[in-house]
Amino acid sequence: MKKRGKGIACIFYGTGYGNGFPDVSRAYAELQPDGKVAIYTGATEVGQGAKTALSQIPAEVLGLTVDDIIFINEDTSITPDAGTAAATRQTYNTGNAIKMAAEELKKELINIAVKELGLNSDAGLEMKDGKIYLKILPDKCITLAQIAAKQSEPLRTFATFTAQTVQIDPETGQGAPYWPYTFSACAVEVEVDTETGQVEIIKAAHAQDVGRAINPKMIEGQMEGGFAMAMGYVLYEDLGLENGRIWNNKLSTYIIPTAMDMPEIQNIIVEDPESTAPYGAKGIGEPVMIPVGPAILNAIYDAVGVRMTEIPVTPMKLLQAIREKEKQGA
Amino acid sequence: MKKISLTVNGKLYQVEVEEDMRLLDLLRDKLGFTGVKEGCSEGECGACSVIMDGKLVTSCLIMAFQAEGKEIITIEGLQKEDGTLHPIQQAFLEEGAVQCGFCTPAMVLAAKALLDKNPHPTDEEIKEGISGNLCRCTGYAKIVSSVKKAAEYLNKGGK
Repeated sequence: MKKRGKGIACIFYGTGYGNGFPDVSRAYAELQPDGKVAIYTGATEVGQGAKTALSQIPAEVLGLTVDDIIFINEDTSITPDAGTAAATRQTYNTGNAIKMAAEELKKELINIAVKELGLNSDAGLEMKDGKIYLKILPDKCITLAQIAAKQSEPLRTFATFTAQTVQIDPETGQGAPYWPYTFSACAVEVEVDTETGQVEIIKAAHAQDVGRAINPKMIEGQMEGGFAMAMGYVLYEDLGLENGRIWNNKLSTYIIPTAMDMPEIQNIIVEDPESTAPYGAKGIGEPVMIPVGPAILNAIYDAVGVRMTEIPVTPMKLLQAIREKEKQGA
Repeated sequence: MKKISLTVNGKLYQVEVEEDMRLLDLLRDKLGFTGVKEGCSEGECGACSVIMDGKLVTSCLIMAFQAEGKEIITIEGLQKEDGTLHPIQQAFLEEGAVQCGFCTPAMVLAAKALLDKNPHPTDEEIKEGISGNLCRCTGYAKIVSSVKKAAEYLNKGGK
């Protein structure tokens, strides 16, 4: 018999290394001869979209397009350390460092423009499309390329951002180990085949607090990817670790989801800007995965009334649990 | 050693191959088509997929000598000479279907093999068409919507 059930779960997740551990990102912003701006930072792109999001942030600060940002990362000989691409920290931490470096560069550029244009104040100066101009008299204008040409050496600014985290009290376990936190919720509907123990996810809704969505499409990609990874983790993926040996050491036995396993997922992006974050944006890399597992387990419980306490919920394990329950009922 | 001739991306090659060489190694190491990726080496992940005589195959499971006289398409063969992307590549970019990118070349080829045969696939047919290619990043949704979009572009006569 096929039985359907629904389940939900919500989680909160602390960004960064946390618990008082130094969590530091650094970045340079440098004006190029053609008026473009180069960002140097040690942040690593692993497919999560760091290069894109971390180019959008300085472009926004400097009134440039993303094409005018030359993003240089990963080369440790020329980039400052920005910590690991881990702990969901690059958008928040390195995003902050880059934003600060870009703001610093903007300040310097405005100061130079005031002098070069012979103005007595920076009031009403706008910076947009590679130009700095006076809003009330746009002819009073200088391009970033013109400013670059006047420099004897490249104009470069540097910024460091250190996240605020406090070590928790070892006695009480109390404190503020992380900042900021982000929140996720997931709802799934499953269909359990009580003859085979197979679980199929019929559909799902997935909500993620992002602070501010810097790149909504990439956020959806992360949410869908997190869902798939959690689905595999909870329903299929079994290393089969026994006495130090991994039995399922190939993809023919360690089963990860294919396109055909994926249900329809409704993504809900929740924007609630975080005051300490770059334009309010928080990281979402890990949190997108976390509520999916418990939501699936709750849905299984709703469908067949058994609480699965070990993952992956393979058909064999679920069938055993269902039979067990039937026996108790009889 | 054995001398074979094969066509890759429209160009004829005559090469000497060892008897135990895989097509994957011939394409990557001898001919330089590094867009062909080696993943699991046992035909499970699909990262090494190429199109051989119109069919999507995993090049890790085919011996080089078996490619004698065959026509092969790799990801390098999709872009036009002037640098214009193939509509499938364009759709992947626009939809955000690429994350780490390791599965992408073969995923694009899987989409091409599907759309060459079936220009109006349903979502289910798209999912089936790419189901031999594993992706650990995207959850496939953006890939499916890209293939759908690419089908529209191709049916309109390219973009």
